[in-house]
Amino acid sequence: MAHLVGGLGTSHIPSIGVALDRGQDTGDEWKPFFDGYDFPKSWVAEQKPDIAVVIFNDHGNVMFLDRLPTFALGVAERYEPVDEGWGPRDIPDFEGAEDFSWFLADKMVERHFDPMIAREIEVDHGLQVPMELFFGRPIEAWPVRVVPIWVNTLQYPIPTPQRCWELGKVLREAIDTFPGDDRVVVMGTGGLSHQLQGARAGFINRDADREWLETIGSNPERWTSMSREDYVEVFGSEGAELIMWLVMRGCMNSKVSLKHKHYVVPTSMTGAGCVVLENC
Amino acid sequence: MPEIPDSPMFDREGAIRGYRLNKMAMALSTPENRAAFLDDEAAFLDRFQLDVETREAVVNRDWQEMIRLGGNLFYILKLSAIDPIPLLHIGAAQAGMSPERFKRERLGEKQWHT
Repeated sequence: MAHLVGGLGTSHIPSIGVALDRGQDTGDEWKPFFDGYDFPKSWVAEQKPDIAVVIFNDHGNVMFLDRLPTFALGVAERYEPVDEGWGPRDIPDFEGAEDFSWFLADKMVERHFDPMIAREIEVDHGLQVPMELFFGRPIEAWPVRVVPIWVNTLQYPIPTPQRCWELGKVLREAIDTFPGDDRVVVMGTGGLSHQLQGARAGFINRDADREWLETIGSNPERWTSMSREDYVEVFGSEGAELIMWLVMRGCMNSKVSLKHKHYVVPTSMTGAGCVVLENC
Repeated sequence: MPEIPDSPMFDREGAIRGYRLNKMAMALSTPENRAAFLDDEAAFLDRFQLDVETREAVVNRDWQEMIRLGGNLFYILKLSAIDPIPLLHIGAAQAGMSPERFKRERLGEKQWHT
């Protein structure tokens, strides 16, 4: 059966991609941010995953409000980077793990999750940036196949934190029963605290971000017991994206070890960072 | 639904009202439409039947007003890709602050730790 090698949580801020495009990752402004990804990158290289499940939200780049699914699952053989308004970025397409995607689709529906199933769809920075942060930017091809899971965090009602957690449980069941010996890494993305809209724009909660990074591994109940409104209040309206890390955390054992955490604030207009978790 | 001040995510009336504005902005995802917008903004906006208030907010690049009228930042951000405006300035405009003050008071000093 497939094997879950670990869970990664990270910000997916678009300006990280822009910094990479412009070669600014070693410059004064960005170095502290990228330095914190040295360990995760070497961890991923050692783990050699075959499949990366990436949980993220579209930012009005691929999906419009005309039909916006609460959860969507990609089953495509290939995902191209989408044009977000500045033209498409010069990174390779992402090869899809079609076989695992369909297996997961069956498992999700069997377990009463009913995602939109997407067979031809592009991906925005929500998937691109975490892939670049953890796998580095390849010239030719990514060293791993991807399974994108989109979560609506753009238009209320967004799914509840509890629902994201439960989705993680179903994802784990799919990994544990998927025939073969694929090594799977799960990436929860988004956050940390930020608010881009309304008079509270620029809201950042440094204490809550630090507590999140410190305890997402050891005390997830602290975070699954919060309401969506709590997330908006504590982490800002766009910081509520953090619910997507709960899919990753829900997928892991109840006991995990925190191998690494990293926090830089402000990055663009957010608190930013990552964690590396391994099952105990 | 409990009220969280100044967070338009919970403003459903706004979200419903802003549909056309967001649709116009979403259309800027293609190079053809971006070229059409740059070539003749008024004609481009005509296609989307915006109400007068909304159209004025777009023409004036009044970010606070666009959001108040139901624009979702992630869509209207595509306007900022056309006339390059940093996100920080859009944030500052919504907070009613200068970019410098916004940076100082809202975002604060840079800190990092692993």
